Amino acid sequence: MISQVLGLVTLVYLLAAGLFLAASLWASRRLEAGGRFALLAGLAAHLGAFLGRWVESYRFALQHTPPQSLGETLRLVIIQVPLSNFFESLVFFSLCLPALGLIAFRRHLRGTLGGVTALLACLILAYASLAVDSSIRPLMPALKSNWLLIHVLTCFIGYAAFALAFGAALLYLWQTRRSRAFPLAPPVELDRLMYRAVALGFLFLSVGILTGAVWADSAWGRYWSWDPKETWSLITWFIYAGLLHARLVKGWQGRRIAWLAILGFAAVLFTYLGVSFLLPGLHSYLT
Amino acid sequence: MSRNTSRPSLPLRIWGFFTSIRLTVALLLILAVVATLGTLIPQGEPVARYLASFGPRLGTAIVRAGLHRIYDGPWLLLPVALLSLNLLACVIRGLPEALRRVARPFSLEAALQLPPRARFSLPARAEPQATVLPVLRQELGRVRRHADGEQVVYWWESGRFRPLGPYLIHLSLFLILIGGLVGKFFGVEGRLAILTGETATEFSLAKGEGTAPLGFALRLDRFTVEYYEGSGTPSEFRSDLTFFRNGAEVARAACRVNHPVTFGGLTFYQSSYGSQLVGPVRLKVCRGSECHTVEVGQRRGQSLPDGQGQFMLVRADANLQGLGPAVQVAYKAGSGGGPPHLFWIPAQHPELVGRPQTPFYQAGPHIFTVEELPLKFYSVFQVRRDPGVWWVYGGFLLCLPGFLLAFLRPAQRLAVVLVRKPAGGWEGRLLGASPRAREAFQERLERLLARLQKGART
Repeated sequence: MISQVLGLVTLVYLLAAGLFLAASLWASRRLEAGGRFALLAGLAAHLGAFLGRWVESYRFALQHTPPQSLGETLRLVIIQVPLSNFFESLVFFSLCLPALGLIAFRRHLRGTLGGVTALLACLILAYASLAVDSSIRPLMPALKSNWLLIHVLTCFIGYAAFALAFGAALLYLWQTRRSRAFPLAPPVELDRLMYRAVALGFLFLSVGILTGAVWADSAWGRYWSWDPKETWSLITWFIYAGLLHARLVKGWQGRRIAWLAILGFAAVLFTYLGVSFLLPGLHSYLT
Repeated sequence: MSRNTSRPSLPLRIWGFFTSIRLTVALLLILAVVATLGTLIPQGEPVARYLASFGPRLGTAIVRAGLHRIYDGPWLLLPVALLSLNLLACVIRGLPEALRRVARPFSLEAALQLPPRARFSLPARAEPQATVLPVLRQELGRVRRHADGEQVVYWWESGRFRPLGPYLIHLSLFLILIGGLVGKFFGVEGRLAILTGETATEFSLAKGEGTAPLGFALRLDRFTVEYYEGSGTPSEFRSDLTFFRNGAEVARAACRVNHPVTFGGLTFYQSSYGSQLVGPVRLKVCRGSECHTVEVGQRRGQSLPDGQGQFMLVRADANLQGLGPAVQVAYKAGSGGGPPHLFWIPAQHPELVGRPQTPFYQAGPHIFTVEELPLKFYSVFQVRRDPGVWWVYGGFLLCLPGFLLAFLRPAQRLAVVLVRKPAGGWEGRLLGASPRAREAFQERLERLLARLQKGART
């Protein structure tokens, strides 16, 4: 049931992407409103599927450890949040993209930018549905913590904001490579979006690293153990910290910031995927 | 000589070096590279491992340069120390000015000196209190007002504490770095492995060789591991501990993953567990109706009593997938070659032996069962005392309001000045500034201006 809904959501995102692109080609307000609506409808169904998976995962845990009190029930609800394997993280990541676009950056979500957001969400979700193991597995003891919810949530909201900044950076670079006959989006607005998305992502990544440190302190007895995932999240943080300083203190704008946003997102991808598949460590929960 | 006098003095140049953004960016880059190296070169392995996997020349170079302990040596500590100085210098340079700006109230004089943004006019019959004020209230919230006959001024400010945001973040980073150093130099970290029923009075240190006394005695009363039904995934493991001082019991506690226990200044974190044989294992080996009992030690191959094969005890587990104690045996019938057959023998579940497609299946012709399996769990703890952790947590707490101020509360200042025109009506000017959020501020100004002009017309 949930996988069917997710399949449908993938198609709706694709439709939204098409509508947004058509809207920018024909400069049509009506098509753009259609794209927005499709994206919103897809997001609603996506959120429904996410919550459905949460319920399913909670029911799954009930079989093994039936809670004895209200407090235990609440705890079980929290730790069974569907964010504990690769499939679930991809579903949530792709959920954050249109959510951020429609809420935090609603004023920027026009034309090609809306199209890029919808397309990214569509591709990630399609990859999750087609190529990743979606079975629900029991949680290992280290993951049973109230910090799981807030830590993973903040990290992935941060990743999604960086993905939006990356999309804007790509558009910006495409746009400003000599004169384009076909303008995709005003560069000034793209530049603004890049900065705002990076600032938001940086905020969430920082909180994600901090909550992770607090959790590691209680689970492993060290708030920082130079595990590859930790190290790479720190590298990512350094890059975006550099970007923000370059922009806020040095006044960098445009192409240079766009390149930094792309470099930063490469580090995000390596933190998310590369570390899990290439460098073994404490965070290898993906497979 | 004149060239020397035109250059800034040495202390000034040092100060300039430590407060420069270039130093910050360079250090961030260096740290990123160092951290990358740390994830590419395995850390903390024995020296021989590097020689084996990187070759003698590169391996020696890595060990000589200390790249195999990159997070403990100057490669990391030096840039971090410089970054700390850089952070501190920037805070010292900017914080007083930021505090002055925050402390200084946004006065009428300051409002009138804001850069002009737009003009509009109100018709003669329009009264500012009735037309302009409601619009400002709706768009901005509370505004301050000053009127003296021919001139009315409204002014408004948000994000007054914004200038403190970056300094709070930088101070919090400084606290975190100090906490890390305090923990590194004044903290203790180590491991402790205890067998069920035994008592420990010391633990082994993580850094270097050797042990340190606990200062009390610690007994592992019981270790339990629970499994999810039908799978090998443990759902929970816990150690029941008793603490003794001078031979008298003073406390009991249960230590679980994610639930550490603190006693006598040391904190114990459940990190792993295992099973250990505490005596000889006795197996019964049957071929048809002919049975023998054999006594075996771990990891030593031996011949079967009838000489028709060989076997070896590989490992033992005190609770294999929730089925209780079990041993893994490698067995080879006859004297020929071929790979040995590998299987587990669960002591309490002899019925599993004949079940094909399981790790318990024995094809024969010899069938093994357990007669005696003296196994005990041991439990491994991470032991730590870290006086720096409160600095680190203080830094975490401090940086949250810092981020909030820096990114979510941009400073905006706005004023509307109305001057009565000699011919009747009012001449309006919109003033304002928001150096860090120009775009959002521009949008706000345009919306405000549109509403003011519309309000003036009706």
